[in-house]
Amino acid sequence: MSFAANLILASVRMAVPLLFIALAELYSERAGMVNIGLEGLAAIGSLVGFLVCFITGSAWLGILAGAVAALAVNMIYAFATVTLCANQIVYGMAINIFAPALASFIYRVYFGSGSELSQITLMSGIGIPGLKDIPFLGDLLFNQTPMVYLAYLLVIVTVIYFGKTRSGLNFKSVGEHPKAAATLGIPVIRVKYIACMLCGALAGIGGAYLTTCYANTYTEGNVAGRGFIALAAVIFGRWTGGGILLACLFFGFCDALQIRLQVANFGLPYQFFQMIPYIATVVVLSLIGSKKAGPRAGGQPYRREER
Amino acid sequence: MTKFKRALTSFVVPLLSILLAFIIGAVIMAVLGKNPFKALQYLGVGAFGSAANFGTTLTKATPLIFTALCACFAYRCGVFNLGGEGQFIMGSIVACLIALKSGLTGFPAILVCLLAGAAAGGIWGLIPGILKVTRGQNEMIISIMLNYVATLFMGVIYTSWLRDANVPQTPSIPDAAKLPRVFHSMRFTYALVIAVAVGLILYYYLFWTSNGFKLRAVGYNMTASRFNGFPVKRYILASFIVSGAVAGLGGSAELLGTQFRLINGFAAGYGFDGVAMALIGQLHPIASMVVAVFFAALRTGSTTMQAATGVPTSVSDIIQALVIVFTVAGMALVKLPEFEAFRLKLSGGKKKEAKKA
Amino acid sequence: MEHISKRFGDFYANRDINLSVAKGEVHTLLGENGAGKSTLMNILIGLYQPTEGKIFLNGKEERIESPSQAVKLGIGMVHQHFMLVEAMTVFENIILGDRNVKGLFIDRAARRREIEALAEKYGLDVELDKLITEISVGAQQRVEILKALYHGAELLILDEPSAALTDIEVEGLFAIMQKLVSEGKSIIFISHKMREVLHISDRITILRAGEVVTTVRCSETSGPALANLMIGRELAPSHYEKVEKPEGEAFCLKGIEYNKTSKHNGLAGVTLTVGRGEIVGVAGVDGNGQTQLAQIVTGVLTPEAGELDLKEKKVAVFSPSGFIDDGVSMIPEDRNLQGLIGNMTVADNLVLKETGDPRFSSGSGFRLKKGAIELYAHEMAEKYDIRCASIDQEVRNLSGGNQQKVILARELESNPDLLVAVHPTRGLDIGATRFIHDCMIEAREKGVGILLISADFDEILEMSDRIVVIFEGQLMGEFPGKNPPIDEISLAMTGK
Repeated sequence: MSFAANLILASVRMAVPLLFIALAELYSERAGMVNIGLEGLAAIGSLVGFLVCFITGSAWLGILAGAVAALAVNMIYAFATVTLCANQIVYGMAINIFAPALASFIYRVYFGSGSELSQITLMSGIGIPGLKDIPFLGDLLFNQTPMVYLAYLLVIVTVIYFGKTRSGLNFKSVGEHPKAAATLGIPVIRVKYIACMLCGALAGIGGAYLTTCYANTYTEGNVAGRGFIALAAVIFGRWTGGGILLACLFFGFCDALQIRLQVANFGLPYQFFQMIPYIATVVVLSLIGSKKAGPRAGGQPYRREER
Repeated sequence: MTKFKRALTSFVVPLLSILLAFIIGAVIMAVLGKNPFKALQYLGVGAFGSAANFGTTLTKATPLIFTALCACFAYRCGVFNLGGEGQFIMGSIVACLIALKSGLTGFPAILVCLLAGAAAGGIWGLIPGILKVTRGQNEMIISIMLNYVATLFMGVIYTSWLRDANVPQTPSIPDAAKLPRVFHSMRFTYALVIAVAVGLILYYYLFWTSNGFKLRAVGYNMTASRFNGFPVKRYILASFIVSGAVAGLGGSAELLGTQFRLINGFAAGYGFDGVAMALIGQLHPIASMVVAVFFAALRTGSTTMQAATGVPTSVSDIIQALVIVFTVAGMALVKLPEFEAFRLKLSGGKKKEAKKA
Repeated sequence: MEHISKRFGDFYANRDINLSVAKGEVHTLLGENGAGKSTLMNILIGLYQPTEGKIFLNGKEERIESPSQAVKLGIGMVHQHFMLVEAMTVFENIILGDRNVKGLFIDRAARRREIEALAEKYGLDVELDKLITEISVGAQQRVEILKALYHGAELLILDEPSAALTDIEVEGLFAIMQKLVSEGKSIIFISHKMREVLHISDRITILRAGEVVTTVRCSETSGPALANLMIGRELAPSHYEKVEKPEGEAFCLKGIEYNKTSKHNGLAGVTLTVGRGEIVGVAGVDGNGQTQLAQIVTGVLTPEAGELDLKEKKVAVFSPSGFIDDGVSMIPEDRNLQGLIGNMTVADNLVLKETGDPRFSSGSGFRLKKGAIELYAHEMAEKYDIRCASIDQEVRNLSGGNQQKVILARELESNPDLLVAVHPTRGLDIGATRFIHDCMIEAREKGVGILLISADFDEILEMSDRIVVIFEGQLMGEFPGKNPPIDEISLAMTGK
C-alpha cells in the first residue's frame, strides 16, 4: 500500500484515543467544568485496562474497567469542584499528579519492579464482511478494531445529542448560564456530576485503548501528553463534535507522520520527529486567535443560593 | 477573616491533609501486610536519621525548591506556568553544553553555566508568555507542550549530539565545573544555598516591595489592576520570564551539583511536583520550600523503608498525591460560606457585622 | 385566581409578610433597595425556602421547594438581570427546560407553532431565530415574558422590568401587561419608580426593611404619600448649592468616537467640557455608551477618532497610568471587577496606587512601610466611615456601601483634578448614598471637576451643576442643574 494510504489509515487509528479523551472534555466543558486532569484520568484508565485485560484476557473487560476506574477518580474532582467549589484548573492539576501516582503504585504492587514488561494480547479488528474488501476505503472504514467504530459512532451521537435533543439543550445551558438553567428547573448540580462521570468514563476508555488496542504493554507516561493535546483539540474544534473530530484527525495525522518520518530516517535524530505533534499543537493554538469562545460559564464554580 | 485567622487556616489545612494522607498510607501498608508503624519509622530514619541521610534529603529537595518557586511566583501573577519542567531542562542543557564545550573551569565556569541556565529557562518561559500577551492564548497547554519538546530535545543531546560513546547519556562534566559541597559529610551542595537564597529574594519581592505588591494585585484581579494603571502585560511577561529563569537556574544547578550528566529520566516529574508543592504551600515562597523539603524527605525515606520493610516506594508517591488532593479540597472547603456558618455555629459566636450586602 | 398569603419571619430579609394577589390584578411591590422585595419573590419561585409561613395558591396550601415546582404551579418570573443564554437563539431559550413535552428530540415545527400562537395572543413581537446577543434589551424582555407564558405561567413576577428600557419600550411593556391581565393572568410588579407604579398598578404593597408597611389601592393614594411610606421619613429636597460658572477647564472631549456603529456600546461623536469645581451629570438609561465614555475619560479605552484635552493639554497616549498621573480618579462602574482587589485587605486597597510613594515605602518601592500603611488605613477608615471588622480584612467581605467608601477614600485622597464617578451609589442605602454625595460636593468645593454618570435620575438632579443626556452614543443636549427642566430631560433620554 502506498505511503499516503498507509499514513491516512494510521492517522485514523491514532486519532482514536485522542477522540475519546477530547469528547470526554467536551461533555465536561459543556457543563461548565474545565477538567485539565485528562492526562491523569487517561493514565489510570490505561493502567486498569491493561491490568484487567492481563488478568481476564479480555480486552473488552479491560476497557470497561478502565472506564470505571477513571470515572471513580474523576468523582473526586467532581466533588471538590462542584460541591466544595475548588478552583477547577488547580484541582485538575491535582488529579494529574494523583492519578498517575495511583496507576504507578498499582502497577508496582501487582507486577513488581522488574524491568520486564508484561504483555497482553491486543483487541482484534473486526471486518465488516463484504464492505471491507473495497480497496482502501474498505480498510479505512470497515476493517478496524471495534473501538474505532465506537469512537466515530460517539462523535455522531454527540453531535445529535447536543444539536437535536431537549436533554442536550438543557445540558448546554448548564455550561452557558447555570443560574438561568436553575430557574427553569434544570438540575444544575446533577448535570455537572453526570458530565464529570461521562468525562471520566470516556477519558478512561481513551486511556485503556492505548494499552489494549494500540500497544500491548503498559509503560509510565504512555499517555504522552494526549490529555493536554485533547484540551487543545476541544478549543481547535470549537466545542462541536464535528470540529473535534477534525482536530483529532489532524493531531492523529501528526502522530502518524512522525512515526513514519522516524522510520524513513532523514538523518535527523528521531526525537525531532517526535516533537511534531507537540509543536503542531502550539502552532495551531497560536494561530487560532484569542476570541473567547466556549461555554460562557466554563470554569466558574456554581454556588447554590440557599439560605 | 482577619490576617491571623487566615494564617492559621493556611497552616492547619495542609497539616491536616498531611496527617490524613499518612493515615491512608498506613492503611495501605497494613493491607499489604506490612507493619505501618515500623515502615513509617524507617521512613523517618531514612529521611532525617543521620547526617548523610539528611544531606540526601536536602539534595533531593533542591531541584524541587526551584520548580516550586517557579510555579509559586508565576501563579502569584495569575499565570499558569506549567512549563517548569521544560524550563528546568533547557537550563540544564545549556549548562551542560557550556560545561562540556567551553573549556571554562572553576568559579567562572559555574557562574556562566548558572546564568546561562537561568537565561535559557527564562527564554523558554517567554514563549508561552508572549503568546498569551499578544494573542491571548491559554498558556497552560502551550507550556505543557513545550515540556515535551524540551524533554525530547534533551534526548537529542544525550543520544546523538553529546553522546558518551555507546551509552545514551552525556559525558560527565569536568570536576572543575562542579558545584562544591557545603559540608563535606553531607551530600548537598551550594545549589541548595542558591535555592534558598532565591526563595528568600522572591519572598521579599512579593511581600515587601511595591512592585511585588502590584504583581500580586495583577494575579488577584487583572481588570482592576489595569484600571488602576498597573502595566499588566509587563507584569505577566515578567512573571513568565522570572519563573522560567528560576526553573532554568534550578536545572543548571542540578546538573552542576548532583547529576553531572544528562540522561534519560533527568528531571522527570519535577515540574508538576513543583506545582503541587506551591499549591500545598499556599503559594507562599517560604512555605513552598518547606513543603519541598518534606516531599524530598518522603522520597529519600521511602527507599530505606522499602529496603527495610519491603513496603514499595510507590506508597510514598501515593501519600504525596493524597496530600495535594486533600489540601486543595480542604482550602476550598474552608472558603465555603456554609463552612463559615458551621464554624460560627460551633463557636456559638455572634454573626460578623461586616458581611457582604 | 391566586390568593397568596405568606407569612414568614426571617430576621434579615423578610419579616412576617402578608401578601395577597387577586386574579387579573397588577399588584405592585414597592420599596427601596434592600427592602426585601427580591427575597420575597425568590421564595415564591422556589429558590429560597421560607423560615416560617405558608403559601396558598388558588386557596390550596403549597410548598414550593424548587424552581421547577414553581413553574409547574404556574409561577413565572422575569428577573431584573435576564436569565437568557446568550449563545442560544430566542427559540432555544424559550423551550429550555421544558417539562411538558415528551420525546427525545425537539420537534421544532410543533414548538414554533405553539410559541407563535402565544406571541400573537399577547402581542409579544419576537424573532425566533436570532441569537440573544443580536436583539435589543426590550426584545430580550419580551422573550423572557414569552418564556414564562410558554411554561404555563398564570402568575407573572416582573422584577424592575423598566430599569433598562427607554420610555417608548416601557409603554410597550405596559400595553403587554394590560393584555396579559385582561386574559386573566396576574402580575406582581416590582419597582421603585413612582411614576410607573402609579400608572399601572391596581394595588400596591409597600415594603420597608423587610416588613410590610401597608397595602393600598392605587386609586386611593398618591406619589408623595407612597414616597413617605416607602422611606418612612421626610425626604429633604436637594440642598446642595449649584455652581453656575466653573473656573478653568478640567477636561474637554472633542468629537470622540468609539465603536460608533454600535448603539449600545459606542460613542458617535461626543463633545463635552467639564470645568474645575463643577459637577456635570450624564443622564441616561444604562447601555447608551456610558461605559465607553467613562473608560475613555480615564484612559482605559483609546478613542477611534476625536480629541481629549486634559487640563487644556491634548492627550497623546491613552493609558490608565498616564491619566492617573495627570490627576484623574475614577469610581468605576463595577466596584468589584474594576475597582477593588477583592482578595487583598482594606488597607492594601486604600494604598493600591500609592505603594511607591515615599509615605508608604522607602527607596521608591524597595521596602514597604507596613506600619505607616496601617496607620494611614486607620485614619482613612475613620475619616470615611468605613465599617469593617479590621483593616486587615479582605475587602470582598465588606458590604457594598463600605466597599464603595474604600474606593472613594482612595480616589479622593490622591487630590485629583478630575473625578469620574459611574453610578457611585448604585445598590447603596440612603445613609451611604448621602455620605458619598457629601464627599463629592466637598471635592467639588476644592476645585475637582466631576463627571457623574448615573442611571439614577434623582441622583443626577440632586448633584449636577449641569446636566447632559446621552442616548445611543450621542449627547442629546445640555441643561442647567439649577431648576432643571425635567420633562425636557426625560424626553431627551428617549432620543427626541
